[in-house]
Amino acid sequence: MKGVANVETVLKIDHLTKKFSGLVAVNDLSIEMRKHTIHALIGPNGSGKSTTVNLVTGFLKTSEGTVKYHGEEIQDRPIHEISRKGISRTFQNLKLFKSMTVLENLMVGGHSKTEQGILNFLVNPVKARQEEKMLKEKAEDILNTLGMYELRNENIGNIAYGRQKVTELGRALMCDPKLLFLDEPAAGLNPTERVEFVSILLKVFESGIDLFLIEHNMDVVMNISNMITVINFGTKIAEGTPKEVQNDTQVISAYLGDKYRK
Amino acid sequence: MKENKKYLKIFLYTLLAIVLLILPEIISNSYYQLLINQTLINAIVVMGLNYITGMTGQMNMGTGGIYALGAYGMALLTTKTGLSPWLGLLLAIVLGLLIGRGLGYPSLRISGIYLALTTIAFAEVVRLLLTNWSDFTGGAIGVQGIPKFSIFGYTLDTDQKYYYMLLVLTAILAITAKRIISSKWGRVFQSIKDNPDAAEACGVNIAQIKILAFTLAAVYGCIGGALYSCLMGYISSNTFNQDLSINYLIMMMLGGIGSVAGNILGAGLVTILPEMLKVLENYYWLIFSIIMLIFAIFMPYGLVSVPGKIMRYYKSKKKRW
Amino acid sequence: MASQIIQLIINGVAMGFIYALVSMEYTIIYNSTGLLNFSHDKFITLGAYIFAGTFVLGIGVNPIVGVLATIITMFLFGVIVAVGIFNPLRNMPSRLFAIMGTIALGRIISEAIRLIYGATAKTVPGFITGVYRIGSIVISKATLVIIGVSILVVVILQIYMMKTKAGKAMRCVNQNKTAATLMGINVSRSIMITIAISAVICTIIGVLVVPLYSINVSMSNTIGLKGYAAGIIGGFGYLPGAIIGGLLIGVIENLSTVVIAPVYKDCVSYIIMIIVILIQPRGLRALIRRKK
Repeated sequence: MKGVANVETVLKIDHLTKKFSGLVAVNDLSIEMRKHTIHALIGPNGSGKSTTVNLVTGFLKTSEGTVKYHGEEIQDRPIHEISRKGISRTFQNLKLFKSMTVLENLMVGGHSKTEQGILNFLVNPVKARQEEKMLKEKAEDILNTLGMYELRNENIGNIAYGRQKVTELGRALMCDPKLLFLDEPAAGLNPTERVEFVSILLKVFESGIDLFLIEHNMDVVMNISNMITVINFGTKIAEGTPKEVQNDTQVISAYLGDKYRK
Repeated sequence: MKENKKYLKIFLYTLLAIVLLILPEIISNSYYQLLINQTLINAIVVMGLNYITGMTGQMNMGTGGIYALGAYGMALLTTKTGLSPWLGLLLAIVLGLLIGRGLGYPSLRISGIYLALTTIAFAEVVRLLLTNWSDFTGGAIGVQGIPKFSIFGYTLDTDQKYYYMLLVLTAILAITAKRIISSKWGRVFQSIKDNPDAAEACGVNIAQIKILAFTLAAVYGCIGGALYSCLMGYISSNTFNQDLSINYLIMMMLGGIGSVAGNILGAGLVTILPEMLKVLENYYWLIFSIIMLIFAIFMPYGLVSVPGKIMRYYKSKKKRW
Repeated sequence: MASQIIQLIINGVAMGFIYALVSMEYTIIYNSTGLLNFSHDKFITLGAYIFAGTFVLGIGVNPIVGVLATIITMFLFGVIVAVGIFNPLRNMPSRLFAIMGTIALGRIISEAIRLIYGATAKTVPGFITGVYRIGSIVISKATLVIIGVSILVVVILQIYMMKTKAGKAMRCVNQNKTAATLMGINVSRSIMITIAISAVICTIIGVLVVPLYSINVSMSNTIGLKGYAAGIIGGFGYLPGAIIGGLLIGVIENLSTVVIAPVYKDCVSYIIMIIVILIQPRGLRALIRRKK
């Protein structure tokens, strides 16, 4: 039966369309993402990749189409609600809390998982302290696995760009996501940092979090993803395993121009 | 080293507490006593403003309106019904909760300059209503004969006695503010100022947090207003003009945004200092405004940021050598 | 009744033009620097004081010479403020500090006015007085002058922005500062000229309201706020909207006195402004764009 979510499907994007006053940024895009996959979305500049992620995570309102997460429609829901369902994300141009330390950045990420309301907070300092301690320990744990424990008390502005990217990933992990969207995780990293970041991503994936990534860097995409969707001008032009996509003529012409078509 | 610092801190706090407790004995001048009481009240209002503008970054230029409603709530309740000022204080808190919601909702749709202008308009509407609805509010003449607080039949009839009550209230509210600011709440407030998109992506319900910050600000503001009513015994709508709202912003900026100590310091500077420096007479406010401008440009984080800056300067010098 | 309403509308249009000028004066600064000048009402007051206090009552020159001299003085004042204050504020890390900066500037101006000219209010006797009568309608000369001068200012500003090189540069800076720099436009200079022009418009407003109000430190508080209301209603940062918004507010608040007590006249504009912000923050601009 159509429309009923497959048990294995985590995210089902159906006929998703986004128009910006006349310009069609995403056109009738359908993607199905299965459990235990690293799904990559690639395409030339301006092909609508970031728009797609913004639509799924609630940062943009859809023009048409549906997005289902475990069978539940989530398009046009408020961002924080989507986040609380277990979908986290990072941003293409880092969005960190600049006035805070690395640790505090992560602790904000865990805020939505805390229970104590403001009234209870005011009358029950003991529980408040416990909660704060738990939040701190969790953040320190994550920083430890990311190899950033030493930098925890540095102000976010004083650390290297690569480390900032890792911090943002750590903050996303604080919400206990089941599905993590990564908008160009390797952009701006040097080759060493890139290798390190990929190994971190694989570690995250092994801990049971599915990854959906947008990436320009083909090494990264071809090495780690099990499924790739290629879009151009907002329309899907190919989908398959890295090998299938690499040999697709449409993909080659989209990336290299028609001249190179065999 | 760390131990020493801790002892020093305890010593300084004790010293501060002693000074604050015997302050009324030191100052015999009743006018200064009034100013100090006013400072405590202003400190409460500024701590409130700090939640919404200092921490959350939502420009609230209508503090005067909040303060006015708290003051009139207290004044009208006590003079018209003869109820105890304690009930007036309770009413002020309820008013604060309502105003916080009322002002919080606009902040969900708009921010920045739009919010600043909305809050200014709110304060102006409040002031115009208080001035012109004279049957109920007494108009420009104001409300007279606001009673004093009494505790178990002991009336706080002098400013000295009232000082101790204000001191206790300010201390409670300051500790609460300190706790909130340095907890998860303070962090999410700040996350909204730093990057609302990212905060929302972390699952923070921005709407709820903004309303919380506005509510805290309004409750503090209304408590301040109510206490002011009882301090003066007489209020009139002329007090609550746009300049008042701006004065609170100045206190916050001058002391240091986001810091409770800075808030109290700022309240003191703006309230007491003009009287201390009467030598400068007419020129005081001009000089003060110029200092204020220099602060806004060169030391935007206020007085509390100065020691840190000096320390960093020396450290960098040491490194160079 | 009909003539009373016509009377109210005419006075409303005159006040509306004042609000429109106020709203234009801060909109050009907002567009080119991104800063809302919270000291703009003090600029207006300062203009009125320099005109009345220094030139007409002090030196005793002819009012027309006085206006020209004031405009030149305020232009220079605008340049100084732009270089010394707006330039550093424009690059502050947070909007909050910039707002505080302009507020402090406003305080400085009003304190300086109080020290220089004293706390007592001033009036300029015999400056644009007299009335015209058409049937039962009484129109003061000041009303006509306000309408005439305002239209002139609007037209001149429009020609300046559309036809002159400096005006075109100003529009470029409004749209994209980086691109303007790359195209060889001196952004700081363009901003300086914009602020100076804004100061000149403030002066004109200040002189125009001299026949209406007595000159004192808080004379322009209300029109300053109403100017914001006009800007919001017209769509913030949108010049034609600012003019329409100003006229709308002027007429509506005057007509509202037919229905409610005149003392609540000022509330009307603010409440309209709050409602517009809550329903459609882009104001009239949203309507215009949609029609296209």
